[in-house]
Amino acid sequence: MGYPYSHDLEVGTLLSRHFGNEKARTLEGWKELGGYATLPKALEMDPDAITEVVKNSGLRGRGGAGFPTGVKWSFMPKEPSGAHYLCCNADESEPGAFKDREILRWVPHLLIEGCLIAARAIRAEHVYIYVRGEFFPFSAILRDAVVEAYEDGYVGQNILGSGWNCDVTVHLGAGAYIAGEETGLMSSLMGGRAEPWIKPPFPAQSGAFGRPTTVNNVETLAAVPMILAEGADWYRQWGTEKSPGTKLWCCSGHLERPGTYELPLGVNLRDVIYEVCGGAPDGKKIKAVIPGGSSTAMLTAEELDCSGCYEGMAEAGSALGTASPIVMNEDTNIVQAMRRIAQFYAHESCGQCVQCREGTSWTAKILHRIEEGDGTVEDIDTLYHLCEQMTGRTICPLADSVVFPLLSSLDKFRDEYDALIKR
Amino acid sequence: MTDTGDQVKKPLHPAAASSQAFQVADIRPTERLFDDPEGRDRLEKVLSRYPEKRAALLPMLGYAQERNGWVSDESMAEIAGALDLTPAYVRSVTTFYTMYNRHPVGRHLIQVCTCISCHLDEADEVFERFLSETGTRAGEISEDGRYTVIEAECLGACGFATAVQVNDRYFENVTPEKVPAILDELD
Amino acid sequence: MSDAANHITLTIDGVEVSVEAGTTLLQAAEHAGVVVPHYCYHPGIPSRPAQCRMCLVEIEGQPKLQPSCVFPAGDGMVVHTTSETAETARKSVIEFLLLNHPLDCPICDAAGQCMLQDYAFETGQLRSRYAEAKLVLGRDRVADDILYFGDRCIVCTRCVRFMEDLAGDNALVVAQRGHKAYIDTFPGKDLDHAFRGNIVDVCPVGALVHEDFVFKARAWDMDSSPGICPGCSTGCNVEINVKENQIVRTKPRLNPDVNSYWMCDHGRRILVMANRGVRAEAPMIRQGGELEPASWNEALSWVAEKLSDSSGVAVVSAGASNEALFYTRALLDRLGIQGGTFQVEQGEEVTLTGFPRLKLRADRAPNVRGAELHDFRLSEELPEVSDGATLVVLGDALSGAAADYGANAGFFLYIGSHLVPAARNATAILPAATVPETEGTFVNYEGRVQRFHRALRSPGVARPSWMFLSRLLEHLGGPSGVREIGDAFAVMATDTAGMHGLTWSGLGLRGELLSEAGQPAVAAE
Ligand SMILES: Cc1cc2nc3c(=O)[nH]c(=O)nc-3n(C[C@H](O)[C@H](O)[C@H](O)COP(=O)(O)O)c2cc1C
Ligand code: SF4
Ligand code: SF4
Ligand code: SF4
Ligand code: FES
Ligand code: FES
Repeated sequence: MGYPYSHDLEVGTLLSRHFGNEKARTLEGWKELGGYATLPKALEMDPDAITEVVKNSGLRGRGGAGFPTGVKWSFMPKEPSGAHYLCCNADESEPGAFKDREILRWVPHLLIEGCLIAARAIRAEHVYIYVRGEFFPFSAILRDAVVEAYEDGYVGQNILGSGWNCDVTVHLGAGAYIAGEETGLMSSLMGGRAEPWIKPPFPAQSGAFGRPTTVNNVETLAAVPMILAEGADWYRQWGTEKSPGTKLWCCSGHLERPGTYELPLGVNLRDVIYEVCGGAPDGKKIKAVIPGGSSTAMLTAEELDCSGCYEGMAEAGSALGTASPIVMNEDTNIVQAMRRIAQFYAHESCGQCVQCREGTSWTAKILHRIEEGDGTVEDIDTLYHLCEQMTGRTICPLADSVVFPLLSSLDKFRDEYDALIKR
Repeated sequence: MTDTGDQVKKPLHPAAASSQAFQVADIRPTERLFDDPEGRDRLEKVLSRYPEKRAALLPMLGYAQERNGWVSDESMAEIAGALDLTPAYVRSVTTFYTMYNRHPVGRHLIQVCTCISCHLDEADEVFERFLSETGTRAGEISEDGRYTVIEAECLGACGFATAVQVNDRYFENVTPEKVPAILDELD
Repeated sequence: MSDAANHITLTIDGVEVSVEAGTTLLQAAEHAGVVVPHYCYHPGIPSRPAQCRMCLVEIEGQPKLQPSCVFPAGDGMVVHTTSETAETARKSVIEFLLLNHPLDCPICDAAGQCMLQDYAFETGQLRSRYAEAKLVLGRDRVADDILYFGDRCIVCTRCVRFMEDLAGDNALVVAQRGHKAYIDTFPGKDLDHAFRGNIVDVCPVGALVHEDFVFKARAWDMDSSPGICPGCSTGCNVEINVKENQIVRTKPRLNPDVNSYWMCDHGRRILVMANRGVRAEAPMIRQGGELEPASWNEALSWVAEKLSDSSGVAVVSAGASNEALFYTRALLDRLGIQGGTFQVEQGEEVTLTGFPRLKLRADRAPNVRGAELHDFRLSEELPEVSDGATLVVLGDALSGAAADYGANAGFFLYIGSHLVPAARNATAILPAATVPETEGTFVNYEGRVQRFHRALRSPGVARPSWMFLSRLLEHLGGPSGVREIGDAFAVMATDTAGMHGLTWSGLGLRGELLSEAGQPAVAAE
């Protein structure tokens, strides 16, 4: 299943089953569809047992880094000495990614249930769902769902008579991609500039408000109820050994049927692009694909035959990231596209680290000059130099994010740069 | 066009106090935020959701914009006072985020995504078309006070390029040809 | 191998060092004699955002370079601060910083003291491959006496964090983000904190400057001497910058026991102002009703002859050195004058909240404890002089006195540096060097005896009071006068309860506390 198109690859549709069905938005409709059936079970379980199931399922974080979710939860203190928090990361701002919004607007109660189960597992008393500010229509749906859930006793004091209390607050961002980085998110939630901080302290030791905190992506948390309901082995029937389960793929750019599709991890990337999305429109050839959101390395059309999972995409020299392929057809000016990506990162750098603050904007300026035909051969050396100096040098990986597409474009599409420079 | 998700009028639930749309056409400019019961109610409800006062900062900046259409120095100072922060600190946070308007804008703030996926579509042309149809340059208020058009970074709707946000609404799959119709629809 | 549980041993640039657990690599490197270049880290500012990425070092076995300002030293670690990767990373940080930097070193007030200029020269990079137009930001004001040059700013946030962590007043902030970020105040709310001037000192480049210092002097044509601020009873350790025998600037000098890296703005101003006013440049004696200049020998023997045992009063300054006060006391003893008072101007107390032992203290004089130690007594009023009595005045104690004060005295000995109106009534004026013109000690609020050094030449033949007072005593039949401050201090230390055992050289640059005998019954703080 997908949105707005469906596809006919044989898979279970887990997260996306109710995409497009307005009934799922209301509490009443959602309960008719079988919602909130897993929460009572979670309330009877020992928190660590919940974590164990998630650990065994092999669920990996869907926010980009793919960190095993159960393992992350197990870092939280077992004997709370005060408040614990869960932050649900709905900042979704990576160019190419638009999957979390489908969860927010079609199945908000699924997310709320996932948040509550996760909160139970990590002994959190408050869940902050940090939604990017621009998402007004979608955060409004989620917000209304939260209020309904409060009114029906699924959220708040003495949840379903269990004696357990947990609050949920929908909190809006205000226009900053870096608020999606987990420490940036917490800085922002606490009323600050969304500046990432250097770890340690790790969130599980001292996160939001100085308390142990777990940050998880929307899609990660939305997968939790069914894993707990059906079991780890059930979930593992999809995906690969190292990347179990299904994933929402956000496909954009030059495609016949762009959109969000739920597909098992390990699906062949070429199939996603040609079979599911119908390839490029107007019979055009595909030149390049940035497979995992704008911060991943470009692949050429010849390199698309790879396994769409964490390990498979790494093997192909790129990354699964948020599984958000951006497709560029044969007419695309790679230098211009790369300039537009660099411009995004320059605009979004928080500005703490020198390499990122200065490097991203310098990169964008050089690319712009090359695009305008004023580039020099030395510019190419400078770009390579920048790639080297922006890798692994900064507080958070935003600086690296521009390097992956840039370096791959230089390596794989050097002729396009040269052509503009020689002009 | 998609959902706007406006709530029916009942007392605001505290859980929803930090997520009210703050880029709206319905502006009731007031000089002060917390002199009336509505403002104090919002502040109180927002504060009840966090262990620290400072965390109410973004929601209250949003509230200032929701009421006034932008965040003035006076609002910043007022919020600073309410949250025991310095006005300078509030300014530092306000200017970090792109969604807080530091100057008044038209009744409809039109934000055209020109980021990569939309760029691969027709974003630049859509942007130009909005400018020419409204007779403005980027960031200006149109003469009739209705529009301000700016470029935006990725709006998280990349599969529906070109994505355009108008106040709290999303318009998707926008082409230059659709621009006049969209403008007509806005009052 | 670790010797004790709390100690770890590691190798930095081939040198083995042993440090306490929790020490950062940057601090550990200092033990190995290696200074790792850094911008955002400042040893006196607690927050460590590790954001400039200048201090990156290579640690064997770690795939990434790590910021040494926060990375904890680990047992057995092998660290390279100058490996090729570390060096290239550092060079590139400088290159990045120079992208938008005006390179106006020839007119920059920080030239010679700029951490960007230093490192850029070191790595031989004054030109860059940057072909784009530089961002030009003008200068702006952040306080009525401090200017901000945005184009020189490297956004290390030291100034912001000084205001936040130390001053506890979040009035200076980063505005905007990314490459548009700059430092700013809230419109209409300039910095007015009593310790704001420290932001100029912590700025590693020339982005923040004191307006009254702009273009005044270059680092390399100033002399500098260690001093003690005379602004209040805290006794901040300072460095006095002098150009052409004028104090052009006072900066804090590190003393972890007193003022750490900081000082207040009142203190910054006070020394610069100290030498203004009409100076006493030569001894004067009253002959035939008029004050006439005399040589030192003439004046001292004349005074010795005319001064006789008598009843009388004395008034001293709590801004005078211990040595001057000690010899004044000796003179008074010889004349049989008991007691003696001093006044202290009072002001508002302001605490530097992030380093609370540092306060601009209400007592706006540096040596209140010293004056007490030498048996002078605080009094709000000047002592009344009965007709024909002896009056001895030390230091600038009469600045507020009525013009006819002391006119009725039998003998009025004025020992001071400035010719205040009341000094015209003196029988003899002995011209004293001011504090920055001499060496000596003060005792601060907590009983710490601190040395100050000489920064200026005295005008005319003005001399340190202790020196000529000891000679005057010699004229009066006492032991021979002292010429060296060390000797003066030694005599005083022997004769003063609380100072036994202290030596001039032993005080060093951090000072020493008085022994218990010198402490009042109830501790000062
Ligand atoms: C620059 C940057 C931006 C990020 N943006 C997002 C985001 O918008 N949403 C998200 O879920 N994770 C984002 N992440 C990843 C988060 O830091 C974090 O790893 C994630 O939210 C953890 O959730 P997960 O384990 O469920 O994936 C971003 C990371 C970086 C470095
Ligand atoms: S890498 Fe960039 S975005 Fe990340 S902390 Fe540093 S400056 Fe900010
Ligand atoms: S003004 Fe100076 S101290 Fe402040 S951020 Fe800029 S360079 Fe750093
Ligand atoms: S606190 Fe006192 S001693 Fe220190 S600088 Fe200020 S006036 Fe001088
Ligand atoms: S690129 Fe336009 S919405 Fe993402
Ligand atoms: S000094 Fe270590 S990162 Fe700035």
